[in-house]
Amino acid sequence: MLQFLANGFCKGAVIALVGLGFGLIYTTTKVFHLAHAAIYAVAAYALFLAMGAWRLPAIIGIPFALLVAAAAGLLIEIFVYRPLAKRSASAAVVLISSLGVYIVLINVIAMAFGNQTQILRPGIEKTFAFGSVILTRVQLAQALVGLLLTGAFWMFLRRTRIGQICRAVADDDTLASVLGIEVGLVRLWVFALGSVLAGSGAVLVALDVGMDPHFGFSAVLAAAVACIIGGLRNFLAPAAGGLLLGLTQALVIWQTSARWESAVTFGLLIVFLLVRRQGLFGVVQRMEER
Amino acid sequence: MNYVYHLLIMICLYGMLAQSLNLVVGFAGLLSLGHAAFYGLGAYLATLLMMNAGWPFILSLVAAVVFVGALAWLVAIPATRLQGDFFVLYTLGFQMIVFSTLYNWVDVTRGPFGIPGVPRPVLFGATISTPAAFCILSLVVALVVCGALWLLASSPYGRALQAVREDAVAAASLGKDTDAFKRSAFAWAGALAAIPGVLFASYSSYIDPTSFGLEESIFILCVLVIGGAGNLRGPLIGAVVLVLLPELLRFVRIPDSAAANVRQIIYGLALILMMRFRPQGIAGKYAFD
Repeated sequence: MLQFLANGFCKGAVIALVGLGFGLIYTTTKVFHLAHAAIYAVAAYALFLAMGAWRLPAIIGIPFALLVAAAAGLLIEIFVYRPLAKRSASAAVVLISSLGVYIVLINVIAMAFGNQTQILRPGIEKTFAFGSVILTRVQLAQALVGLLLTGAFWMFLRRTRIGQICRAVADDDTLASVLGIEVGLVRLWVFALGSVLAGSGAVLVALDVGMDPHFGFSAVLAAAVACIIGGLRNFLAPAAGGLLLGLTQALVIWQTSARWESAVTFGLLIVFLLVRRQGLFGVVQRMEER
Repeated sequence: MNYVYHLLIMICLYGMLAQSLNLVVGFAGLLSLGHAAFYGLGAYLATLLMMNAGWPFILSLVAAVVFVGALAWLVAIPATRLQGDFFVLYTLGFQMIVFSTLYNWVDVTRGPFGIPGVPRPVLFGATISTPAAFCILSLVVALVVCGALWLLASSPYGRALQAVREDAVAAASLGKDTDAFKRSAFAWAGALAAIPGVLFASYSSYIDPTSFGLEESIFILCVLVIGGAGNLRGPLIGAVVLVLLPELLRFVRIPDSAAANVRQIIYGLALILMMRFRPQGIAGKYAFD
């Protein structure tokens, strides 16, 4: 039981990271960033390139992967989303474009690296025992990095000027731009940061179980669900949602089998949509404010 | 010649799928990424009825249509509370749940092994087994479906649906129950998507869950978006273009291993470019705004 909760916590920490990135982008720019899943895969394959093919150590490989993720996020914003935002295109148009970006990137990766699963570190992982709970080194890293980055993200939003500006733009981007804030620049920050968060989640999973080109999609779906059950318009809620989702998944896997994981994710989503639509920490809004 | 029949059948099937999705996306203004779930449920349900219960083709088809339509109506009940992006996420979730049920409920669906030997349709005592006969059947069914949709779209119901899409608040203030309209559009779309599902199962005589996954839902949406939503011409043009496009690619020398990826990349780029420069698609009316 404790073991499953611990596994669920580690898993939830990764969902939380990807969810924080997804939520940051969604709340600030209103872009439903399905291509976040492609960024996730891009980061994992950049790590594979650095550590698997070029045999670089992790200390160089991981920052390289995060940089590539940030660059990919920025390019998508500049070439796809920004022209649409200038035209103030509808949410559906942006979402379909995002889907297009996802399809293109995933298939480019599949052409370059193949569709099969790539494993970064074969062999048995070093483990640590805490009483009756046993965690691998990567799982420990997932939990710690998840907590640390969530804390750092909170500091960023509260303490730095750019973080405060992000919150202002999320509240009302027209008003923010009237007050002299360069919304375009803020969006670049948001996409870079969101992509780094997705990339760090991807790196932590890739080191654990390896990767295939499509593995980002379920991660980002879980992240989006974490955002909703956490509550939108709250930058930290995805972390809580992610943990809740990770723990629920672990409990269900314990009781039944791992095959029903995606069904559990969406079952939880539907329950929240029916019972508590604003999420754990959300606020009820009027229709015209949405 | 069989090759031409095959392409025509595929155009009919995807034409019907895109047409039925158009009711939700183009007329009701709700983007859905779960259409392949209804398509697959129709295929599985009719197959199981024909093979395990020994029902005749027509009866299985009708049962599948009614059941999937009713299910779609139920699925839409919580969905109408959601707006825009979250409706999409919800339909995506439905798609994942249906896929994992088809994949994991091995006792009934045989899971990843699929169901071989789906019987050919038998109509008025005649078995439809040649590609030519099947092509005629698909064309007739597609015509009936398009006719039904034309009636639906040009009726007061169709206009009310578009009113709900354009301005839900205004439509509600005129006494239209907007949620009920969305639910019924979803139910019609699900019911009509079951028809190509049944045809597909008996045409290919083998079904497995991978034919009805998220990729298929994305493809159906591509057909609709690239062809154009909001009228009846767009989806048909989309089906013709997207079914024939990969066939053209056969003449370009691309290694087989990369062909599927190249095709997907073309679809993805088409989506991006369409949204950027022509959101109403090739021949559509509704530009998603």
